[in-house]
Amino acid sequence: MNIKHLILLAGLAAGLSSCDHLLEFEPGDVILAEDAIQDAEDLQRLLVSNYDVVANLYGGRVQIVNELRGPNFGEPDNSLDFTAVYNRETTFFTGINGGIYTDFYYAIYRSNVVIKNFDIVENLDPAERTRLEAEARFIRAICHWGAVKMYARPYGYTADNSHPGVPLRIAPSQDPLPRASVGAVYAQVVEDLNFAADNLPVVNGVYATQDAARAYLAQVHFLMGNYQEAANFASDVINSGRYTLDEDLDRFETDVINTETVFGIVSMPNDFRSSWFRDNLRSDNNPSPQLAFSDDFAFFMSLAGGGDGRSAWLTAGTRALINRFNEKEYFNVPLAHLTLMHLIRAEAHGELNSDLATAIADINTIRARAFGAGNNDLSETATAQEVIDAARDEFRKETACEGLWTDQLLRRGAMGEDITIRDAAWDCPGMSLQFSNTESTVQGFELNEEGGCL
Amino acid sequence: MTKFILTLITALGMYCTLQAQYLRGEISDAQGNPLPGASVVADGTKGQFADADGAYVLNLAPGTHTVQFSYIGYISQTKEVTMGTEDETLNVSLAEDAVLIEDVVVVGYGVQRKKEVTGSIVKVDSKQITGVQTPSFEAALQGQAAGVQVSQSSGVAGAPSLIRVRGVASVSAAGDPLYVVDGIPITQEYFLRGNSGALNNNPLAAINPNDIESVEILKDAAATGIYGSRGANGVILITTKRGKKGTSFEFSTRAGIGTAASRPNMMNTESYLALRQEAWENDGGTGYVWLPNMSSAADDPATRREAYLRAMETNTDWVDQTIGVGNKNAVNFGVRQGGDKYNLYAGFSQDNNQSYLLGNSYDRTSGRINLDWSPSSKVKVLLSSSFSRGENNRIDAAWSGGLGDAMSNALPYYPVRYDEDVYDANGNIEHEAGEYFLWFDEWGGTKNPVAVRELKKWKTTEDRSISNAQLIYSPIANLNLKVSGGFDYLHLREDVFNPGALSITTELGSANRYANYILNWNYSATADYRWELDDTQALNFLVGSEFQRTDNYGYSLSYGQVEGPIFENDSLSEDAANVNTTINLPSQHSFLSYFGRVNYTLKDRYFFQATARVDGSSRFGRESRYGFFPSLSAGWVVSDEDWFNSKRVSFLKVRSSVGYTGNAALPDYARFGTYSAANNGITYAADSILYPIQPENPTLRWETSRTIDASVELGLLEDRITTELAFYNKYSTDILMNVSTPASTGFTNFWDNVGTILNRGVELSIKSRNLIGKFQWTTDLNVARNYNELVDIGNYTPDAVSGGTNDSRVIVGRPVGSFFLVEHSHVDPENGLPIYLDLEGNETYDYNNDIRQYVGDGLPDLIGGMNNTFRYGNWDLSALATFSIGAKIFDSSAKRQLGVVTGWNMRDEKLDRWRQPGDIATYPRLTLDETTYSLPSGFPWWNTSLFIFDASYLRLRNLTLGYNVPLGNESGLQNCRIAVNATNLFTITNFPGLDPEVVRDFENAQDRNMSPNVTYLTPPQERAFTISISTNF
Repeated sequence: MNIKHLILLAGLAAGLSSCDHLLEFEPGDVILAEDAIQDAEDLQRLLVSNYDVVANLYGGRVQIVNELRGPNFGEPDNSLDFTAVYNRETTFFTGINGGIYTDFYYAIYRSNVVIKNFDIVENLDPAERTRLEAEARFIRAICHWGAVKMYARPYGYTADNSHPGVPLRIAPSQDPLPRASVGAVYAQVVEDLNFAADNLPVVNGVYATQDAARAYLAQVHFLMGNYQEAANFASDVINSGRYTLDEDLDRFETDVINTETVFGIVSMPNDFRSSWFRDNLRSDNNPSPQLAFSDDFAFFMSLAGGGDGRSAWLTAGTRALINRFNEKEYFNVPLAHLTLMHLIRAEAHGELNSDLATAIADINTIRARAFGAGNNDLSETATAQEVIDAARDEFRKETACEGLWTDQLLRRGAMGEDITIRDAAWDCPGMSLQFSNTESTVQGFELNEEGGCL
Repeated sequence: MTKFILTLITALGMYCTLQAQYLRGEISDAQGNPLPGASVVADGTKGQFADADGAYVLNLAPGTHTVQFSYIGYISQTKEVTMGTEDETLNVSLAEDAVLIEDVVVVGYGVQRKKEVTGSIVKVDSKQITGVQTPSFEAALQGQAAGVQVSQSSGVAGAPSLIRVRGVASVSAAGDPLYVVDGIPITQEYFLRGNSGALNNNPLAAINPNDIESVEILKDAAATGIYGSRGANGVILITTKRGKKGTSFEFSTRAGIGTAASRPNMMNTESYLALRQEAWENDGGTGYVWLPNMSSAADDPATRREAYLRAMETNTDWVDQTIGVGNKNAVNFGVRQGGDKYNLYAGFSQDNNQSYLLGNSYDRTSGRINLDWSPSSKVKVLLSSSFSRGENNRIDAAWSGGLGDAMSNALPYYPVRYDEDVYDANGNIEHEAGEYFLWFDEWGGTKNPVAVRELKKWKTTEDRSISNAQLIYSPIANLNLKVSGGFDYLHLREDVFNPGALSITTELGSANRYANYILNWNYSATADYRWELDDTQALNFLVGSEFQRTDNYGYSLSYGQVEGPIFENDSLSEDAANVNTTINLPSQHSFLSYFGRVNYTLKDRYFFQATARVDGSSRFGRESRYGFFPSLSAGWVVSDEDWFNSKRVSFLKVRSSVGYTGNAALPDYARFGTYSAANNGITYAADSILYPIQPENPTLRWETSRTIDASVELGLLEDRITTELAFYNKYSTDILMNVSTPASTGFTNFWDNVGTILNRGVELSIKSRNLIGKFQWTTDLNVARNYNELVDIGNYTPDAVSGGTNDSRVIVGRPVGSFFLVEHSHVDPENGLPIYLDLEGNETYDYNNDIRQYVGDGLPDLIGGMNNTFRYGNWDLSALATFSIGAKIFDSSAKRQLGVVTGWNMRDEKLDRWRQPGDIATYPRLTLDETTYSLPSGFPWWNTSLFIFDASYLRLRNLTLGYNVPLGNESGLQNCRIAVNATNLFTITNFPGLDPEVVRDFENAQDRNMSPNVTYLTPPQERAFTISISTNF
């Protein structure tokens, strides 16, 4: 073997050495995490994606599931997932509860990423930073709250609220977490909403505002039994003067944000965010819609007689078909609205037995719209209990299909009332949805007890 | 085409039988034993093979002729023969070729004498592959090699088989062996179209079995270590045919039919309605039961009665409507030509393969050219190129429809077509007589398997070309420098047209095209040198480097409101303005490797080998990109020792190896944390969004297996009996898992190195020439036992990784992909309710996900094959039986067919149900309400161990009767063989379902690893009968 051969051999052996760059490929249709957030605009877009998730949750999915857990909806037509929720027998194989849970935490994770990444954006305006953080914490709060209401026993189920809630995520992490107590989750929700209320702008397009945070604080405190705080925050929103009741009873409007909306999701003709309502509740495009009101709800609605404008929201029959969303392909969905604030304040004052005049006025404001001015007013001398009863009646009607009534029943049950929901005790195990099937893939996570509500 | 082939077979058969005589003789070895099949060629053109007695006869004209006698492993002899007017006799004795007598096997980047191989390699030659009629070559490996589990594909044309070499050592990364064709690791992507229509793509279907010279299966680290990066699950080396000196042609053709190996036993209308009625009454219903698509539970009794009686008038056997007899035919033609400086092999093949599923076929057209050119004694150029097109005429199968519908939601009281006009309440005609009866399944899909088959147009076309160019420069003796470049091109496009008639609501249909391209480049450079130290010692060195890059991209087109598929309509161009086009940007990966091998041979009986390979993969980050995979092995031919003197033991070799191999078959970009800027136009409230897609894992690294292997090879009675006993222990760590992570982390899954897997086993191969002489009987037997255990999965629970929808999970201490279900105990004789067992073994009526547990697994304890070959004169008969013992099968569709009474048809076994107190029955009281069995509402999938069955079987895989036609010289043929072949003639099994050997459609590679032996409406295998003729001339 001569020197030429050795050189050739060495050259071949070296072959493709020093070619590490040949192993560098990056995905072409996505952005690497390290490059994703460069400036304030990126943070804003990430923040908007949180609203996007919230819209996917509250385009009817969460509302329907919460109604199915309660007494307002009848048995689903044939959807297996809806039936599982209706019978309060979800398991971690049931898709709908897993999907909702996952989406709540998508939004929570993204909110945490926004908060964590302020420092990597150079020259971020402090005011902008505060606003971004306030919005992120607002989203984080409403998603933690949404999750804890659906996947855990209600606030007040134990005296110290030490019963298991949901994982509390206040920083992005891939580490598994156990369930925090319901008390801890509510404390964080309140803290986040307080921060949001203090730092959000008064006007913020379709996104969260100071009023939105206060409207949620009113709801959260109401479920916690903090009636004075609930009334105060509701008053803040009502007294802001920025919201008015729409006379036509329809707050689900297409292409228009209804005047009483404090916070809601926006549905566009190209995204149909409200499609869960359309596809499952509308009765004008489907003789057998997936869902209809329960006989119990239809009976309840009939008690007011024919003068109630809201009675047009259903058509009694073998199934009490829902008309509230008929003739609409897409529409904006209010999540916190003026009606809700009036009714929370009314009932809170009733519970506190204070300022009943304001409470009665709140109720009559709502009734005037439904029945016509002065047609079905609550007496100015109504007792606290009468105020409470009236507020609850109006709450149940006004929020039909909005997924809020079940939480009110659970609150009352936790506060000691004897509450039965479709022949099952309010605290039967299956009232809490089962967690996503991925949540228990790490040892030690405590799943909910299943069933027991039939 | 079938007629043409049958005519051709007849003509060739007649031609083959022409008689001739003149030069006669016998060809034998040095000991006088006849050499059947030895070749005799006169003047380089006329020739034939010796018969079973070593006898030959040639018809030669008067004059002097050069006659060459040759036989593999023996030194050829050339004789001058002068023929006069009389017959002549010439007996020839051939001497063994000391070099060639031993098989040469292909190893990574070279060849070795089998004697000096220190790793575990099984060679399967072309006859073993083409001797079994299978649609794709890999299926023919079944039963041929110990420790190689081949589960054949379902009856769907073009469906892939499942091959596992020494068990499965991966969970989420692909667990298939690495396929290397003529040195190129080829594209082997099974999920290019996911699970479209319940069919996974078979990347091996394009390879023509007739082009294959041999297949080597590398099993242990010593063998696979040179392919270290991807050798953890074995390597299958495919070597294609090359030219030889002289000119010869090969021609073969076959024709046959295929039917279903077994038939579903679905209920007829009377039985189905009776059981449904019984369920209704058990649930407290009165009057007639409501019927899917005919009436509802809320209907009044009269309406339900009317529907019931109307239903009784129809009895459609949907199985008959979806299966039949498939025709098969194939033609293969090959030519080998060679001279001093070149060799050429060219082959062409056309294979048309209809399955027994009506409307379904896979047709492959392929060609190959392999050219060897030696411009000088030091330079050699090897070119190999193949081209093929596979056309799959698709149908829906399994969960997607077709026979799957016939076994599920096609109820027998549904008619295929309306037999009279149907009017609506207003008197308007709703359906005309003759129109297909369509219904919706529970997912909202339009059903009627006959209508769908006839109206839907669906075709998948795969164009494939694998090419390779190799330059070998040998500047001095024993030194070879090689550079090689290969290109593997795959273009798969699926066209589907769904007509408006199936959507009910629209008049026109929709046409879609899904196209994938995979471009796979491979470059390598090696140098090997053999250094003869002295007469007793030699060293072989190999060093090299290799680079492989693969680009995978595609696009999809979607047309609405059109009348036909894209492939039938020129107006549906791919750049039409109205088409909805989605472009998939390339997904790319590459491997960069450096490797070396040293072999040391001492006294031709001590063999040592060391290999090392460093592999870098783009799929891993810089910190863990490169893996180092070494191996050490040694072999000792004890019988060559001077002191070894045994009359009975003619050959004894022991060998052992230890080494590391790896696996990097995970998605290209799994390590990156990624965001999407919603290029697909997603916005919220018209504002753009940015959102995370997957979390980053910069520590992702190679899945690594450490394998220890030891074996004893034994030859007895002058090698009349040869046997090999091997033991291995493969310990795989850093198993790549796509674990389901807690959703509260913001993601639902995450690629990570999590697990540890143990595979440990024993393999035994025996080859015995039981009878020699005029009547010959040879037996090949191989048996393998593999123990598979998932040793560790960190802090995860069994649900962290699942096999698709198959209820297979990761359970520590159990095999990969164990079935994780609620344990069924028995049916309570008193009330007919199912009784389950909780985790403590206590009986309970409560079905609960918390009491799911290991109830079996799909991995066999023992697999093997036995091939018996009998020869007498010109006749031969071979029978290949394969068996699998100890595996369980999860009959997943039975949970609906034999569970809660739903809109699915039921199987006849359901008749064995509880009816009254005291009944001892297999199945519980019938019910329409899943909560009767304590299932959650809305969950009619009765996932219990009741549907775990023993999948042990013994199957007569292949039976071939062949006749080697005696030839005369004037025939011009070297040989001519006619054979009839039957596959899957019978199966002995206790499995009550369709087929105990099942490869269902999978969702992804993880499902493919996790869910062997799960059947879900999976079509059974095919029973085929073929007649073939082959000749060389």
